[in-house]
Amino acid sequence: MYVVINPKIKIDRDKCTTPFDCKRCLRICPTAVFSVHAVRNERGKETDKTVAGNYALGVSYRDQCTACMKCVEDCPEGALTVTMPEEASA
Amino acid sequence: MCRMCEWLGDGQIWYMHPKNYANRMYKLREPGKKAATSISGVGQSSGGGMGEAIEAKANGDMERYNTIVKSVNEHSSTRPGAQVVPLSECISIIKEIGMPVGAMHCICRKSTRGEEENDLMQYSCMGLGTGMFKWERWPERYRGGVKFLSPDEATEWLEYWDDRGMVHMLMQEGGDFIGGLCNCDYPDCGPIRQRIDYGLDFALTKGEYICEIDYEKCNGCGQCLGRCQFNALKYESTIDKPNIDPMECYGCALCETSCTRDAIDLVRRTDYPVLKNVW
Repeated sequence: MYVVINPKIKIDRDKCTTPFDCKRCLRICPTAVFSVHAVRNERGKETDKTVAGNYALGVSYRDQCTACMKCVEDCPEGALTVTMPEEASA
Repeated sequence: MCRMCEWLGDGQIWYMHPKNYANRMYKLREPGKKAATSISGVGQSSGGGMGEAIEAKANGDMERYNTIVKSVNEHSSTRPGAQVVPLSECISIIKEIGMPVGAMHCICRKSTRGEEENDLMQYSCMGLGTGMFKWERWPERYRGGVKFLSPDEATEWLEYWDDRGMVHMLMQEGGDFIGGLCNCDYPDCGPIRQRIDYGLDFALTKGEYICEIDYEKCNGCGQCLGRCQFNALKYESTIDKPNIDPMECYGCALCETSCTRDAIDLVRRTDYPVLKNVW
């Protein structure tokens, strides 16, 4: 019986500031591991996706991540790190 | 009769019963009280049960994962999230009961793919009922706006999404309030993903029907192939025609609507002694 272990995914929020405007990782991920949500809600207005920190990127389905590295390669800010556990502890 | 029809249908298919559209969509929160968490948060890593389960699975701890999934299913068995509905019945609902209806963005697709939907042919979700008239109070929730449609416009819009291969489902927000009619596909859609990937049966109930092929009419043209989101329909090389596995069929009828020879029929799930318990 195989035991499937998935990588750790780290998002550097100092670098990933406007994920809903950028959305490259959200689009490129074959298994749709990521999610994005509004962190700030202003009464009566849509949240401005171009303002840093208004939206945050999250990892909702880490158990689906295959460590294909497409998101790491595509992120224009170099904000994503995907590491298998062995490598992480080495 | 399905559990939902027994509970909410008064002898008919529960979603054809007008009372299930009549509850209030929004309740004003009592001062000082926090908003209740909804099942849409079930897959979020930040909150509660399923977040922990997904972490456990990703770390290879299947025992803990299975324990949590079992308990989430048990806790939520009386709080169903959505049910698959074939196009023909979606149209009946809109024409006979569901008005007013407003097309809007899909909140799942926004979250999983960063999708922005800003006009009618981009909107892929639909809100039902008078609660929709208050949408402007929550501009971020209804980002991109809402367009109210006449029954004929709504029918045309649903047919457009059906043609593009989207499964229709009624969102029931935990039971007796039908608030939305979504057009969904894997992996963007929350309920489909929760059911297929994590076995959360309450999140998405199979439809009232199953699809059956009439082999007298089917010529094996293959138009229906690729329409099934649930791995129920596949091509059988030995007979040169497709086969639908009734145990896996959700009754979304996407194969039926793509068939130009009228060779696929919708049959009530409850007509079969075994399938009447497969939801």
